[in-house]
Order: sequence, then C-alpha cells, then structure tokens
Amino acid sequence: MRHLLTRILLVTFLACGSSAASFAAKDLVVGVPDNLTGLDPADLNDNLSQSAARLMFEGLYMLDEHMKLQPQLAESYEANEEATLFIFHLRKGVTFHDGTPFNAAAVKASFDRAGNPENHLKRQSLFVMIDHTDAVDDYTVKVTLKYPFGAFVNDIAHIGALIVSPKSVQEFGKEVTRHPSGTGPYAFVSWTADTLKMKKNEHYWKPGLPKLDTITYRSVPENGARIAMLQTGEAQFIYPVPPEMIKSLENSATITIFDEPSIYVRYVALNNLRKPFDDPRVRLALNYAVDKQAFIKVVLSGRADPMDSPMPPLLGFYQKQGSYPYDPVKAKALLAEAGYPNGFEITLTGGVSTLVQRGMQFIQQQLAAVGVTVKVEPLEAGVLTAKEFNVKTPEDASIVMLYGGWSSSTGDADWGMRPMLYTKAFPPVLANLAWYSNPTTDAAIEEGLNTTDPTKRAAAYGKAQAQVWHDVPWIFLAVEHNLAAYSKNLTGASMRPDQQFHLNEGADLK
Amino acid sequence: MLEYLIRRLAGTIPVLLAVTILVFLFVHLLPGDPARLVAGPDASPQDIAAVRSEMGLDKPLPMQYLRYLGETARLNLGRSIKTHQTVAELIGERFMPTLLLTVFAMLWSVTAGVAIGVLSGVKRGRWIDQTAMVLAISGVSFPGFWLGLLLIDLFSVRLGWLPTGGYGSWQHFVLPAFTLGVAVAAVMARFTRSAFVEITAEDYVRTARAKGVPERSVVWKHTLRNALIPIITLTGLQFGFLLGGAIVVETVFAWPGLGRLLVDSVAYRDYPVIQAEILLFSFEFVLINLIVDLLYGLVNPEIRLR
Repeated sequence: MRHLLTRILLVTFLACGSSAASFAAKDLVVGVPDNLTGLDPADLNDNLSQSAARLMFEGLYMLDEHMKLQPQLAESYEANEEATLFIFHLRKGVTFHDGTPFNAAAVKASFDRAGNPENHLKRQSLFVMIDHTDAVDDYTVKVTLKYPFGAFVNDIAHIGALIVSPKSVQEFGKEVTRHPSGTGPYAFVSWTADTLKMKKNEHYWKPGLPKLDTITYRSVPENGARIAMLQTGEAQFIYPVPPEMIKSLENSATITIFDEPSIYVRYVALNNLRKPFDDPRVRLALNYAVDKQAFIKVVLSGRADPMDSPMPPLLGFYQKQGSYPYDPVKAKALLAEAGYPNGFEITLTGGVSTLVQRGMQFIQQQLAAVGVTVKVEPLEAGVLTAKEFNVKTPEDASIVMLYGGWSSSTGDADWGMRPMLYTKAFPPVLANLAWYSNPTTDAAIEEGLNTTDPTKRAAAYGKAQAQVWHDVPWIFLAVEHNLAAYSKNLTGASMRPDQQFHLNEGADLK
Repeated sequence: MLEYLIRRLAGTIPVLLAVTILVFLFVHLLPGDPARLVAGPDASPQDIAAVRSEMGLDKPLPMQYLRYLGETARLNLGRSIKTHQTVAELIGERFMPTLLLTVFAMLWSVTAGVAIGVLSGVKRGRWIDQTAMVLAISGVSFPGFWLGLLLIDLFSVRLGWLPTGGYGSWQHFVLPAFTLGVAVAAVMARFTRSAFVEITAEDYVRTARAKGVPERSVVWKHTLRNALIPIITLTGLQFGFLLGGAIVVETVFAWPGLGRLLVDSVAYRDYPVIQAEILLFSFEFVLINLIVDLLYGLVNPEIRLR
C-alpha cells in the first residue's frame, strides 16, 4: 500500500513537472512597419504580406534565407534543354490546414487560378509563360511553357506561386485572402485591424516542427515605438530599424542587431535619351563626382556597401566589375570635354521619406562641387509613380534624374536586370527609368532568359553586367544593408536579402 | 423642442448629399493612377488594365457617381482596393477604438481644462493663473509625437508600467488618451479663462455680487453657466475633430484608428475607403452640431424660440 502511494505521488509529481515545462508557451511577436494587404499569395505585391503568407503557405520550391533554391512541396524536377517543359515530383503525405490532401490536382488548381487573367490577381504575370499544367498522376505535375524560360523554377519559388487549398477557394471565392489555408508550419487564427495571429500547425509534414506556438504580427508604423516594443519585451523581432537608430541598440544585453547586405541596389537613374545625359561623358563625370564611401557614411550611417556592378553580390550570376572612385577633378574635366565647363542645372526627383530626401540632398551637395546645380524634387508616392509611368512615348518622360533603387523579388539575375536595363522594358511596360538601350545588353539579357544551363547564363549575365557598367546609365551608389533587431533568446529569425522577414521552420524562443 | 429637433434633422440631408458629390469629385481629381499603384511596380500593362477594369475606373464619371450614391444608400460601401475587405468591415474594426479613445481623451481634458480655466479666471493675475497659463501654452506647443514618444520611453521602457502601444485593456488607453487630450485641455483652459474674465465684467455679475449672492454661486451659477455656450461650441468642435481620428497619436501608439486608415488610404488612392470615411466624418460633425444646438437650447431657453 505504501509503495503504491509513493508510486502514485511520484508519477503525479513528475507529470506536474513536465506539464509545467510545457506551460511556458512560445509566443513570438513581430513588430512590423505596415498593415497587411491580404493573405492570398497569388494576390500580393508587398514584402510584409508576403512574409506572413510564407509562414502559412508553401511552394513546390522555395528560396531560403540566402536566396538559394530549395525543394519544398516538390522533391525534384526535370526540365528539357530548351526550358519549355518542366516535370515536378511532389512530396507525399502533406495536408492543407483545412484537412484536404495536397496533390497534383491542388497544384494544377493553384496555378490555373493564379494564372487566369480573368481573376485579375496581382501575381498573374508570373504564370504568363505557362501554356498548360497537367496532373499526370497524384504526385506528378507537368508544366508546358509557351516559350523558353530558364528561370522558371525560380519563378515558381516566388511567393505568387505558393499552393492554395482548392477547397478554401471553392468555399470563399474572392474572400480567400481573409481565410488563408495552406500547407505551411503555421495556421491562420485571426486578422483584425493591425494584428495578425497565427498558431502552430499540429499536422505539419516535417516531424518535430514548428517549435513556436503562436506568431503575432503587430503593425507599428512609428520607428521609435517599435524599438520600445523590443526593449520592453512586447516584441521579439522588429524591422526595419533606421540606420541612425541602430547605434542605440548596439550595447544592449538582451538585444541582438541584424545587419546583413541586401539585394537592394540604390542608384540615380539618368535619362539617357535627354540632354545632357545622352552624352556618356556626362554620365561618367557624375559617377566620379559622387563620393560613394561618403554617401554610405553620411546617408546610411555606414550600413551599406558600394556598388561594383549593376547587380548586387547576393544575386546569382553577379560578377564584380570595378569601381568609379571619387575624383572631382576628373569629373570636371569630363564635363568640360562634353561641352559643360561651367556645369549645368538639373532636377533630381525622388520620394518623400527621410532617408530618400537625405540621399538626394547629399547628391545635390556633391554635384555642386563640380558645377552641377541640382534642384531636389521630393514627390508623394502616387504622384511619383504617375510621373514615372504615365508616359506614352519616351519623349513624354518628365523625369531626367531619378533617385531610385531596385530589388529582384525573384532572387534571379533576370529580374535584377531586365526590368531596368532592357530596351523593351521602357515605361510603362517595366521600370527602365534610365531609358537605357543597348543591343549588346539586350542580346545578353535574352540569352540569359532563354536557357536553364547555369554556365551559359553566367556568361550571358557577365556580358550584360560588363556592358552596362561600361555604359554608365546610372550613378552607381550602394547596396543597402538590411537592418533589424531581435531578442537574444530568439533563434531562426532573419531578414532575407530581398528585405523580407524570414522565419526558419526551426525557429525557437529559449 | 421636438419641432426644433425635427427641423434640424431634416436640414442635415441636403448637407450630406452635397458632401457626397464633393467627396466623389475630389478624390477623382487627385493625381496618380490608382490602377498602377494597386498593381504594383512589378506589374505588366495587362495586369494594370485588369486592375483598372476591376475598379470600374473605365466607366464615365457621372455613371460612377450614380452607382456610388445608390450603393451608399444601401450601406454597401464597396471594397477596399488595397485589401479587398469590405469598407464597412474596415471602418467597423476601427470605429470603436477611435470613439473610445476620443471619449476618454475628451472626458479628462475638458474636465481638467475647464476646471483650470475657472481657477485661473477666479484667481486672475495670481501665481496660480500664471502657472496654469504657462502649462496651457506648453500643452499646445508640445508636438504630439514628441510627447508620445517621451511618455513611451518613461512609462513603458524605463518604468515598465504601461504597454508601448496597441489596443486592448484599460492600460492601453492611458498614454494615448493623455497625449491626445493635452492640446485639448490646454485650449479649453485658455478659452474658459477668457470667457470667464469677459463675463465677470458684465453688469449682471456685478449686480449679483451687489445683491449679496454668495461668491460660489456667482462663479458657478451666474458666470460659468453663461460661459458654457462658447465652451460647449468649442467642445463640440474638438470632439468632432478628434473623431476624425488623431493621426499622430494613432501612429505613435500603433492605435487601430480611423485617422491612420484615412491617411494610408489617401496615399494608396483607395477611393472607396476615402469616400466612406469622409462621409462618416461629415455625418459625425452634423450630428455633433445637432447635439450642440440642443445643448444650447437646454442651457439658454431663449435659443429654443428661434
């Protein structure tokens, strides 16, 4: 009797001990700068909503935190040499949050819905090269393209191609953006005003994962308030942290700084079709006139690296080209040679954010030293977009100098060059806001797109980068760093080079 | 009184109708193409054309207005271009937080402001008056975001007494309601004081004192009661203004309010949301004006006769 009692007490004691340990819920709160726009992956074009969608949805392939392609819902693929046919072998035993099974039919339904122009989904252009998708059997999908597209697997690793539960689409139609159902490690709980709540997917296909119990996104637009959230422990990860505020967090015992290069390139686009920028000597002169190191130090508090190629180092097929060092004497000489010994007056257009205006003022001061008088024109987002893209012919363009930047959202070299440096990408089609056109560059970009062979692509993009670097359509400035901050006890959280919040499936709060 | 009420209510309808026309025309004259903004920088011309037709922007303007009017009358306020959520839902989520914040901010600030104003008026010229007026000037001059961030730093980060922001328990209300009310309290204090000083100089107050009416009665029953008319007017105006959302306080404290929604919607050219919010704010102002008028009638019976 006594032994039994002891045994019972012991077991109860142990049970209490272990349940006490599991009572400590692992709740991650992320402080983000904006509100979400939706949770239907095929209909998102902002980084924030995409990062949330990535926690709840998965794709056949995915880009990890280093922008490297990894299999996810597909285990492998084959493609033909011409890059017109792709066959994917799907993972078995995966279910959507609503309980329905993941299979080839679900992939076909997802691709068809997202690519159907009548649905007017924002990411429809990712599927425009697809002729048709077939579910060969439950776990094999065959995609036939209308034309060669070497970057297709990168393309479908994009957020827009994440697989959505067909049942959720049937049930909710257009409202599916508020009722997300995917295969991801976290499942949707609620989304009210500026708070998104997600909870652990108990039936996630990777055993032992995820480790966190809940994830909450809180939209806090004010930088100072977001930092305060991290300091009080209300949030465990916040982004972005403005470069000048990073210092205040550096010596904290409980906070870690995240400071890594991004794939965001910052440059000044010069209108190559308009005087004086139609003369390459003038464009070259401006590159010598701006001290890139000083730009990084003054405008970005040192949190950036100088551009040494039109593409950033973390983008596949990047090749270092060189540098245009600070040399105002040479700049003045080039300007004189081009017929502008006394410089000229010009307007620099850009956005209204603090950092952008600071950057523009810096350029203004640097160019003043070589006789170029710059008038800074900050424009509100809608007005700026209108000026940039409401153009029917290149002659209509009203911007001659644009303080801008770009980030390849597919993580592929193609999207890091074609939208800005291809002749057919003149606005309003895409974002070639420098109105740059060179047949050699065009041919190289096309070559890179039309093959999946990495050696051929590397050669093609090497040619493209070299040509652009030589032609100087832009003032090449810097590759910005991603800046964030998080609690020391959080592991697995980071910012991807494309400035999207990323949570590893193994993320944990100790 | 009832006839007065009905007359005033009926008078609001033409005002609201005029507002709908103005609001509709106004947002369509803003620069920027909403279709391109919505489709995003990565979009192709097909994407943008698709978005444009989805938004109904390819129909003629009068047709768009009539459609808008009909839908609004049925309380079908459309969908947000940005999130595709129904506008009614979007506004609904933020209406109570905005209303509650406004009410709490007004409650403390009007009470404190009027009290300080009366005290200053009564002790005119003395040190209490001077101090109170210096505080009042400071209250109006401190930028809301600066004060808010200062309070967050002190009470949330250093002392850990209150949350840094967001909406939830009563603790979440303290700092935002205080920050929001500071400017209002300051204005009410100065205004009450001037109204007080002005009325104290009136003949009937001197007569009351001469009659031997106790000082407390002179202050509260005679002076303040008459000063109430302008005070009520000002309170009504402040309340209506704050109901439009206090964008700075909402931004600093991450408060899910209508002010931030409006600013974000304007930046995004989210027409359905902008129109609905402006219409809502106009309606609120009209309602507040009505209440203020009724309060006048209560405070001063003569007004009812007009």
